[in-house]
Amino acid sequence: MSTVDATAGWDRLIEHDRVHGSLYTDPAIYEAELERIWYRTWVFVGHVSEVPEPNDYVVKSIGPQPVIMTRDKQGEIHLLLNRCTHRANLVCDAPRGNSSAFRCPYHGWTFSNTGRLLGYPFNSGYDGREAKRELGLGRVARIGIYEGFVFGSFAEEGPTLLEHLGAAREALDRLVALSPSGELDLSAGWLQHKVKANWKMLVENETDGYHPQFVHSSIFSVAQSGIGELYGEESTALSRDLGNGHTENDLRPEFRRIGQPLGWFGTTPDRVPDYVAQLEAAKGVEQARELLIDGSPHVMLFPNLFIAEIQLFVIQPLAVDETVQHVTAVQYKGAPDMNRRMLQQTIGSVGPAGFLLADDSEMYERNQRGVHARSPEWVVLKRGTHRERLDEDGHLVGDATDEVPQRAIWRHYRRLMEAGA
Amino acid sequence: MGVGEVVSEFAAVAVSIDHEGNGPRLRIEDLKTGHVGYLDALELETLAWLPEGALHPLLDPSLHRWRKPAPNGGHH
Repeated sequence: MSTVDATAGWDRLIEHDRVHGSLYTDPAIYEAELERIWYRTWVFVGHVSEVPEPNDYVVKSIGPQPVIMTRDKQGEIHLLLNRCTHRANLVCDAPRGNSSAFRCPYHGWTFSNTGRLLGYPFNSGYDGREAKRELGLGRVARIGIYEGFVFGSFAEEGPTLLEHLGAAREALDRLVALSPSGELDLSAGWLQHKVKANWKMLVENETDGYHPQFVHSSIFSVAQSGIGELYGEESTALSRDLGNGHTENDLRPEFRRIGQPLGWFGTTPDRVPDYVAQLEAAKGVEQARELLIDGSPHVMLFPNLFIAEIQLFVIQPLAVDETVQHVTAVQYKGAPDMNRRMLQQTIGSVGPAGFLLADDSEMYERNQRGVHARSPEWVVLKRGTHRERLDEDGHLVGDATDEVPQRAIWRHYRRLMEAGA
Repeated sequence: MGVGEVVSEFAAVAVSIDHEGNGPRLRIEDLKTGHVGYLDALELETLAWLPEGALHPLLDPSLHRWRKPAPNGGHH
């Protein structure tokens, strides 16, 4: 960390419309990011629907940190560090389970699912029992839940979750509004894709409206999808800076122009009649029609939750050049006909034989290899600087293919890195 | 009469209803060691009504299973 600060200030690595390649490759910068971003700001961990019953638990992460998300008998959610307080073994190994207590496999220490140390074998080997109070599992300092989305922060103090989400809160509202029951069910399971690339390559790409027509042309062609054209020079769609590093590709202007309910999903209401009827019953016919035309958000919540219309991606850095993407299908609680289609599309686009994520992953790894080249040293993010403007809510927007989101991500990144120096 | 297995990453037991006595009881077999324990209806009803955390003292491994035997061969 000190090397980074001594050799070049963050302002020398991050300019308005270009960033230095070492930001993706320098292990010291990666270590600084863990402390100043991943272990300080709010990070998405999981969803309450993943632990529906009392004593359910799932194994999660905050960057490289192993986390257990539990629901105790009273229904309260906890974020515990998955590390035995004795000799540091992982306490939980299964991806999910139901247990009021956990037993470390190494020496048999037991912990409640709220983190309390319950005991250890052969306690006469310890001098007194006082230590039990101090040897509970580590905890993520703060936990915040919005619309069932569970976020954690290792910082004892700092902005609240709502302050962190800011305008991006609306993305979660929009996502949930498409569920007739008003609830999501994110228990379909998570696919994991590991790439040899820096985590910021992924964050930048999620709201990059410039690449889809090139990188994803094959899946658009096979699926006879019109989505690619929405990311063109003629498109009225917008790229947007939502503040705090959160960014958006807003395709609603195009969907409203076309005016076709469920057009965003490539289908029509007669294919999912039960879902449409449920949504109309819940919201009224007119609002349901507007929701079905507008579609689901395409928003990257900094630093790790990408809402990709019908999928959620969670970005987990493991090293300066190694990142895991955890992907699950969005499911609306109680809407089986729509859920079946969203699951099928998810499998087709980001499953093991899917096209979409494989395309992106290839680009990430090529980017990571390319950015090691000695010259030029900079990554260029100038696109659309001459035409960015403020929308009616005061957010910076650009055309669909502009690099407004990428510049926004780096502005926020620089603020966080400088604040932690 | 077999009922089934209850398994987690921490423990694996087979539970069944045992009729060898004058009344039925739940038979619990630790599948990792073969050790068997029984719970009668009144004990099970008591368990069903236990408040949150009431079983936690029993989950201290040193309480019964993992402790040094007393010199007389019994427990401390």
